[in-house]
Amino acid sequence: MTPGTRPYYVPVGNEEQVFGAAYRQGLSVLLKGPTGCGKTRFVEAMAHDLGRQLVTVACHDDLTTADLVGRFLLKGNETAWVDGPLTTAVREGAICYLDEVVEARQDTTVVLHPLSDHRRQLPIDRLGVTLDAAPGFCLVVSYNPGYQSVLKDLKDSTRQRMVAIELDFPPVDVEEKVVAHEAGVDHEMAQRLVRLGQAIRRLEGAALREVASTRVLVAAGRLVGEGLPVRDAARGAIAGALTDDPVVSAGLVEMIDAYLDDEPV
Amino acid sequence: MPDVDVGRFRLLVSAIAGKPMDVAAGEPGELAWTDGTTIFVDADERDALHSLAVQATLVASGSLAPALMDKLARRPTPTRRYLALEGHRALAAMQDLLPASVRCLVDRETASRSESAEQSLELATGRAGVPDPPEVFGAIRPKRVRAPVDPTGDAPFARHLPWRNEGTRQSLDRDESDDDTPALDFLSSPVGGGGPIGRLLKRLLGEMRPGGSDAPGADVPTYRSRRSTRVARPSALTIGAASIPDDAELVVGTSAVYPEWDVFRRRYRRNWCTVVERAVEPAPESAVGAPRADALRHALARLGVELERRRRQPQGHDIDLDAAVEAYVENAAGSAPDEALYVDTVRSRRDLSVLVLLDVSGSAGEPAAAGGTVHEHQREAAAGLVAALRDLGDRVALHAFRSQGRTAVEVLPIKYFDDAFDTAALRRLDGVVPRAYTRLGAAIRHGAAVLEANGGTSRRMLVVFSDGFAYDHGYEGEYGEADARRALAEARRRGTACLCLSIAAATDPDALRRVFGTAAHARISREDQLPGVVGPLFRSALRSVELRRRAWQRTHRTRERLRVERRTA
Repeated sequence: MTPGTRPYYVPVGNEEQVFGAAYRQGLSVLLKGPTGCGKTRFVEAMAHDLGRQLVTVACHDDLTTADLVGRFLLKGNETAWVDGPLTTAVREGAICYLDEVVEARQDTTVVLHPLSDHRRQLPIDRLGVTLDAAPGFCLVVSYNPGYQSVLKDLKDSTRQRMVAIELDFPPVDVEEKVVAHEAGVDHEMAQRLVRLGQAIRRLEGAALREVASTRVLVAAGRLVGEGLPVRDAARGAIAGALTDDPVVSAGLVEMIDAYLDDEPV
Repeated sequence: MPDVDVGRFRLLVSAIAGKPMDVAAGEPGELAWTDGTTIFVDADERDALHSLAVQATLVASGSLAPALMDKLARRPTPTRRYLALEGHRALAAMQDLLPASVRCLVDRETASRSESAEQSLELATGRAGVPDPPEVFGAIRPKRVRAPVDPTGDAPFARHLPWRNEGTRQSLDRDESDDDTPALDFLSSPVGGGGPIGRLLKRLLGEMRPGGSDAPGADVPTYRSRRSTRVARPSALTIGAASIPDDAELVVGTSAVYPEWDVFRRRYRRNWCTVVERAVEPAPESAVGAPRADALRHALARLGVELERRRRQPQGHDIDLDAAVEAYVENAAGSAPDEALYVDTVRSRRDLSVLVLLDVSGSAGEPAAAGGTVHEHQREAAAGLVAALRDLGDRVALHAFRSQGRTAVEVLPIKYFDDAFDTAALRRLDGVVPRAYTRLGAAIRHGAAVLEANGGTSRRMLVVFSDGFAYDHGYEGEYGEADARRALAEARRRGTACLCLSIAAATDPDALRRVFGTAAHARISREDQLPGVVGPLFRSALRSVELRRRAWQRTHRTRERLRVERRTA
C-alpha cells in the first residue's frame, strides 16, 4: 500500500497486539463484529502499520473458487490465465482480506484451508501448481455474528484455523473521537450523535434487526459537516437507514428529535 | 398538541429504560406515572417528553423495585420526597444516556445527597428537608407498580412491546379511588392467570391487567398473544357465535364462485360455493416490529436452492469447450462469434410463492393445551412463517378464512403478495377474531386460484393452518373430506404444492391427515417446534409436485409425439 497517512483507527483493547502477533507467526485472523463497527478500517490500519499491500474481496453468495484463485480467459485463439485476488496476494505477500466471509459458499472457503494452516500453500489445480505463500502473506476474514450467520455459519474446520479477534462498537469516549475525526464535526456534535447511537443500541432486538453503527453516526456527522440541520441529517442517515417500517421509523424520529434537541442555554 | 399519538414515544422510553416499555395516554391534567411497563402521560402536557424520560429513567435505575415500593405504599408524603431525591439521583446517574434537554432537569445538589435508591428511601422517610419534586417528574404510585422492575434489564427483548388498548385504560380508571385492586392480583396470580377459570374471567372482564405486564411466573410466554382476542370489545365475547362477523365489515375483492365435489353422486356441483374477500378491521394497536423468525428462516433457507452448471455464459470459472471450438470455427469462417464461452455454476433461484391460509373458524378460539387459544398459536406460527419466507425473498401472502354456509365462504386478506408485511399487516392479523365454520374445499380452491393468478413463480405452495377438520352447513364427515381431497388433487395437478400444519390443536386432527396425506401434514403442540418440521415438510411437498409435473410433461410429450407419428404415417 502506498506509504500515505495511517487510516484512522483508535484501538479499544489489545486487538492491535493480537493481530501483530498472529501476523508475525503466519496465522490467519478472524474478525468478528457487528456491521459498521470498524472491522475494515482496522485491517486497513494494520496493513499500513505492517507495510503490506491490502487485497480486499467482498464475499457474496455466488463467489466461486475461480473468483478467488483465478481463471483461464480466451484471448484471440489462445487461453490466458488470470490470477484471482487471492493468488495475487499469495504471490506478492500481501494481506488478503475477505469481508463477510460467511456469505461465500462453503465449497469456496475450503480453498482457504491449506493457506490458513501451517502449510501456507495455495494449490491451483487448473494450472497444476501449488504456490507457497510469499513471506508477509496474511489471510484475514471477517464476519458479522448477527443475523447473517442465521443462514450460514463458518465451517468449524475453517474457524479453527484462525485466530479470532472480537470487535464491538467502541466505548463512548472512543466513538466520540472517531465520529469527530471522521465526520469533521466538533466534539459537542459528536457527543450528541454518539449519545443518540447509544440510546438506539439499547433497543436492539425490540424493533430493529441491526442497531445504529458507528458508520451511520459518522454518515450523519458528515451530512452535518456539509451544512445540513442535524435532525435532517440524522433522519436520513440513521432513521431511514435502519428501518422501512413506518411505525418504527416514527419512533426513531421521536428519539432523534429528543436527543438532537438544540442544546439548552 | 391534542392529536399527538403518545405511542410514537415508545421507542424513546424503551431506549432509556433499557427494556420494552409502552406509553399510554393518561387523564388530562394528570401527572405522569408508570406501572413498570407502561408510562401514562397526558399528551397535551407541554413537558410530556421530559416526564416520559424521567419515568423511564426511574424504571431503568431500579428506583421502582417492589421492595422499595412496598415501603412507600399508602404514604403520600414520603413518596413525594422519595421521587424528588431519587429522580434527581437517577437522572444524574444516567445522564450520559439522556437527551440534553432532560439532563438539565437535574439538580446536582439534591442528586449528590443520595448514592442509591435505598439511601433515597431512607432520606425520604427521615426528617431532613427535601424540596418538592418538579411537576415534570410526574408521580410515583407505589401500589400500581406491577411488574418486577429489573435494573439489569434481563427482560427479554425478544418479546414485543406490550400492546395498549382503550379497554385497559378504562378498567384502570374505574378503580382509580383504590390503589389496591384484588381483581388484578387474582388474574396475574400463577394459579388464576394460567388456569381455565382465570382465562374465563379474563375473557369475561376483558383485559384488566395494565397493558401487557408480565404475570409473575406461570403465564405461558405465548409471545404477543394477549393482544387480540381479549380486547374488551363485545365482539370478543361471542366467540363461535354464528353472527355476521363484525371484525370484517367491508367487502373488498370480487367474489368468486367455485364448484364442490359431491362424493355421493360422484360429480361436481357447479357454482356451488361463493367465496367473498372481506377487509379486516385492524386491531387498534399492534406490537412494534415484525415477528422474529430466525430459526424458521434457518430451516427454510436451503429450500429449493441448488447449484446448477450453466453452459455458454458470458463469464464463468471454466471455458465451455464446445462453445470455444464453435467460436473458433465461426471466427475462421469470418463471422462474428458469440462471446458467451464459459461454464458457470450458479445457484438456482428459489422462484417460490407461498400462500398461507389461516383457519379462523370458531373452533380456533378454543383453549389450547399449551395455554392461550389455538388461534393465538396458529397466528404466531403463521406470522413467523410469513416473516421468514419474506426475509428469504419468496413471494408470500397471508389470508384467513372461515365460512357460514356455501354462499358465504369468507377470505380475509391479511397480506397480499405485493403488500409489505409491516405493522399495518400485523394489526390486521391481530384484528381477526375466530368464529363461524370451515369449508375447507372452497378455501383451498380459492387459495390455489389466487396463487396461480398472482404468485407469478414456477413453484407454488399452499400452506393451511388448521386445527381440525372442516365442518359447515351441509359439509360434514365423508362429504367434506372427499371435497377437500378433491380440491387438493386439483391444485396439485396444476403444480401447486399443498400442505397443512396443526398447531396446539385440542382435538386429534386425524381427518386432516387423511385429507392431506401423512407426508403433507404435521401436528405440533407449540409454534416454537415449527422450525423442526417445516424443512422436511416443505421439501417433500415441493418434490412431489415437481415429480408430478414432470410426469405430466412426459406423458404430454409422448402423446404429442405419438400424434405426430400417426399423422406422418
